[in-house]
Amino acid sequence: MSALVSVRDVHRRFGSGPATVHALRGVSFDVEAGSMVALVGRSGSGKTTLLNVVGGLDRPDEGSVVVDGDEVTALGEDGLSRLRREKVSYVFQTFGLIPVLSAAENVGAPLRLARTPAADREKRVALLLDLVGLSDHAGQRPGEMSGGQQQRVAIARALAGSPRLLIADEPTGQLDAETGRSVMALLRAVVESEGVTALVSTHDPVMMALADRVIRISDGQVDA
Amino acid sequence: MRTLILRRARAQWPLLAAVLAVVTVGATLLGVCALLVTRTSDRALEVAASRAVPASTEVTAYTVTIAPRDVASVDADTRSVLREAVTPFGSVLAGRMSTVMRPVPIGSTGAQGLAYLSGVENLTDRASLVTGRWPRPGAGEAVLLERTAKALGARPGSRVRLGVELVRDPAPELTVTVVGVVRPRAGGGWERDPLEGAGYVPDYRDGSALRTAQAFGPFLMDYRELLAGGSTMSRLEITARPDLGASSPRELDRLGRGVREADRRLSAVLGERVQIERVASRLPAVLAATERQQRVTSSAVLAVAVLGAVLTAAALRLAGRLTADVRAAETALLSAAGTSRVQLTGLAIAESALLALLAVAVAAPLSSLAHAALTHLPPLDSAGLAAGPALSGPQLLAVGIGAALLFLPTPARSGLARSGADVALVALAAGAWFSARSGGADARIDVVRVLVPALLLAGGCVIALRLAPPALRAADRWAARRASGLALPLAMSEAARRPRAVAAGLLVTLGCAAATFAVAFDATWHRSQLDQANLSVGADLVLTLGAPAVAGQGAEVSRATGGQARPAVNRGVAIGQWIGGGDEPPRLVAVRGAAEAPGVPLRTGAALTVTGRATGPDRLSVTPQLVLEDASGLRTACTAPAIPLDGRPHPLPDCVPVDGMRLVAVMLPVAADEFAYDSVRTSDITVDLSVPGSAGWTAASAEPYSGQLRSPKVTTNGSSLRLTANVALGGPPDAARRLVATAFPAPGPVPATVSAALATQLSVGPGDQLDILVGLATVPVRIERVTESVAAAPGAPAIAADLDTLSRALLARGEPQFPIDAWWVTGATDASGLHLGDIRTRTGEAARLTTGPVPAALPGALRLLVPAAVLLLLAGLVLHVTCDLQARAVEVARLRGLGMTRRDIRTTLLGQHTVVLLPMLVAGTAVGAAATWLVSPLLVRAETGGVPVPAVAAVWPWPAEAALLALLLAATALAVAAVVAVQSRRADAAHLRVAS
Repeated sequence: MSALVSVRDVHRRFGSGPATVHALRGVSFDVEAGSMVALVGRSGSGKTTLLNVVGGLDRPDEGSVVVDGDEVTALGEDGLSRLRREKVSYVFQTFGLIPVLSAAENVGAPLRLARTPAADREKRVALLLDLVGLSDHAGQRPGEMSGGQQQRVAIARALAGSPRLLIADEPTGQLDAETGRSVMALLRAVVESEGVTALVSTHDPVMMALADRVIRISDGQVDA
Repeated sequence: MRTLILRRARAQWPLLAAVLAVVTVGATLLGVCALLVTRTSDRALEVAASRAVPASTEVTAYTVTIAPRDVASVDADTRSVLREAVTPFGSVLAGRMSTVMRPVPIGSTGAQGLAYLSGVENLTDRASLVTGRWPRPGAGEAVLLERTAKALGARPGSRVRLGVELVRDPAPELTVTVVGVVRPRAGGGWERDPLEGAGYVPDYRDGSALRTAQAFGPFLMDYRELLAGGSTMSRLEITARPDLGASSPRELDRLGRGVREADRRLSAVLGERVQIERVASRLPAVLAATERQQRVTSSAVLAVAVLGAVLTAAALRLAGRLTADVRAAETALLSAAGTSRVQLTGLAIAESALLALLAVAVAAPLSSLAHAALTHLPPLDSAGLAAGPALSGPQLLAVGIGAALLFLPTPARSGLARSGADVALVALAAGAWFSARSGGADARIDVVRVLVPALLLAGGCVIALRLAPPALRAADRWAARRASGLALPLAMSEAARRPRAVAAGLLVTLGCAAATFAVAFDATWHRSQLDQANLSVGADLVLTLGAPAVAGQGAEVSRATGGQARPAVNRGVAIGQWIGGGDEPPRLVAVRGAAEAPGVPLRTGAALTVTGRATGPDRLSVTPQLVLEDASGLRTACTAPAIPLDGRPHPLPDCVPVDGMRLVAVMLPVAADEFAYDSVRTSDITVDLSVPGSAGWTAASAEPYSGQLRSPKVTTNGSSLRLTANVALGGPPDAARRLVATAFPAPGPVPATVSAALATQLSVGPGDQLDILVGLATVPVRIERVTESVAAAPGAPAIAADLDTLSRALLARGEPQFPIDAWWVTGATDASGLHLGDIRTRTGEAARLTTGPVPAALPGALRLLVPAAVLLLLAGLVLHVTCDLQARAVEVARLRGLGMTRRDIRTTLLGQHTVVLLPMLVAGTAVGAAATWLVSPLLVRAETGGVPVPAVAAVWPWPAEAALLALLLAATALAVAAVVAVQSRRADAAHLRVAS
């Protein structure tokens, strides 16, 4: 299989002078297309920074990141936005749903961004909500749903635009163990059913067990 | 606790600075309003008093019939009373007195007339010397008016012997040496002369005799000589002119009381030495009117202050809620750490007290500076109210009240709508409006009237806020259905569904409403004052004459003013037996219209003669009175000396026509050497007047006892006008025996328009007929229509008629005097150089009502309210948008994670604020307009405190309102755009870095 994501010698520093924090120190790895990779490490190890760099939300000070053939570090603002609309999607630890929108509207948001026709959008939203088991909650807003339900909506939203890469930052961090497991199972299932590549940061051993590969990171470096 | 407050203040200083700014703006506005209703208001009274025309501030004591021995003491005591009355102000006193009548020989005919002496202080200021010199004291010398000298045939050096006074205990006869001839100056007070400065009156009747007599005078002597000269005074009047240049409200109050009490005091002091005494002055009324106007102004300024306070409270309410939101987590943490509710409240109070102290420290000097700056701008500056910065007690109190608004409890999150408080507010506003509407119109500072604008504006705004959510929801549904992208539907959803989206709605709507209301109310108030000025003055310029009008004066007035002068009358009259129901009699207002002039045109400089014959043995004479009309429409009566009907032509040297004169009527009073009551003799008289003949003349016999002159006829033969009649030589001695010939048929009842006040008070309407007393003649008028008000008599019971028709009716009744009090000039551009009487112009009156010292505070306060409202609106808005976006920073950053570009994010954020703010601003404008329409009739008052006449019509100044709305839109757009730009730029990975 070919690498969908290729990270090479990525450095990221915050601050300056003696207070400089090296969040990433020459990180390099590849992620095969269609695989689910767990990014594991302690808090402050650089997981989120690495995910932000891979997804184009942050820029490395050095190194390169290639996603599905696009050199992310070379893309401008518009290119990064297009990358996130078309190839990369996120699942946040705190779900990241838009509070004023219903579950269906949240799921449809990426499709609206892609200017998908209304009929196709509604069909896709229904399909995804069915996929995450929330067809009956389509009209509910995030505030009216449980944490697990919200994260499932977030996963459905992340899949709405048929991305090549799904980045999930501690997707079970706000959930209890039981709900976390079901969300992990869902992630594993959609990776397989949708043929998407997933890069997931987690502390959860269950998630690690479900992943095709585990990359350990500590102090801004990938463990050998 | 102190540490917590200080550290929190350091961390949240932008938020606290915004709160401080809001409360400072509000407290400053209240402080300025307090200064306007105290310091400026007091100063306005002083300036108004110092600017008052002399006629309105002078105090005159009138005394009537004083025996020679008492004259000097009465003069001295009267002066003493006046000086005391105007204390503590210094004053200039001027006296004028006239003696009772004495017989005087008329030329060498042996006939006798009446004459009197006068003493006038400052005579050289009141008359100009034509020939001779001024009289010396103690030498029995006098000067005469030109007309007196001419009528008596006297000149400098003549000695005139005046007979014994015509009173009980008369002073003996005396001889006066004429040393000069003088001409009255305009404004010299000659209207108070017994003959009103005419110098000679052929048919004088003072009420003490049935018969008329020729009267001459005054013989103007030195005032001191006359004071000690042993003559009986018919009248003595002394006028005090207080110098009100440096007055305080307390001193003015004391002055008013002193003048009001002077009449009683004068009576007590003079006792039996005079028959009648009276102190008259417009000063108390002028001071009272000024105070009424001051209260009217203060009432409106207080309404502005209340509005400012409500606006500040709305801004602070928003700030309080935002602060509570920002500190929600901190408060929860403190509660979890065991901090009690009492301690949290104490913490909030301590912080509010600190902010309030800071606000007072800033707002007190700021309000002084703002007030000083305001007084150096029009209209306060032009009103003479410029003042330097100063602190005062009421100002500090107002600033403190403004700062204390910080302590108002922040309402629960449920909001006005859900709590039902908005409905209660609307009900309260409606109740207050109805109460103020049905309340009386006076100058009191009415609490309800002061509160009504703020209540109505707040009520209107909460209604608008009630309508906002459903409207936004509808727009949200529309956008979700119709828009294909994410930015617009998301913006609409944020606006419609986010509970905090309209948190600033009340402030934005109220701020916009207050600003637009202030602009519109200012325009409405100005329009009303202009309307009142236009109606009360009657023409562009009104010259109220101080002396009888003379032929050619209209042309002089037209030349001097650059306009078209028309004679007019505006005076109190009796209608039948009715002289009015209040302090003022009903008014007659008549102005000469554009009707074609009647009568015979006369050649300029033509020498007119009268030739008369009478049958029978009796020697008869006539005293012709020719009524001439000049080019301006003024009719003047020219009276000739008595002319014997001896068949010989007699010239009329006093009746020389000037340019454009026409003869419109002739009066011929017939006199005989003797009228015996029981005589049955009659005489046919024929009188020819050498004027070109013309058709259309009508003859009649005047009342009373018109039957004593029978078969009056007037005929023309081309070169003369012949008047004939049969005169009864017996019968009532006071019969008129006056032949009246007019160049027009006698008009019927004069068509008139009456004011609604008169129609109501007399229960009359169109078609009804009234008799009005003009001079000594009764004129019937027929009501053609009823109007709200009559020009120049706003709100008063009044009758308006055409002066030409009125004059014709008077002439037809044998009344030669043309009723004229004033010249009304249209198109006047300049009034300088005219010294014929009081001048009022519409522009001057409008300026007095709008930029005069007393009312000037209101437009000043309104103009202050506009920037204050805009500042509060913007401060609250920026605070709201900043807090909102800060609270949603992570949410906004996640939108980037969805693939939204920064441009899309900016569009979304701008869109969500636009769809809220734009309708709020529009709603605010609508509420401001509605409030102007509802409030103006209640709040705009005449200077008397009464309902303005004409009625107030709300004005919506489109250009100013459009400019204001554009300014608000631009300012809000700029503020929101700036905050959105900053926030969208910050929407990066930093906000997403969690748990890494």
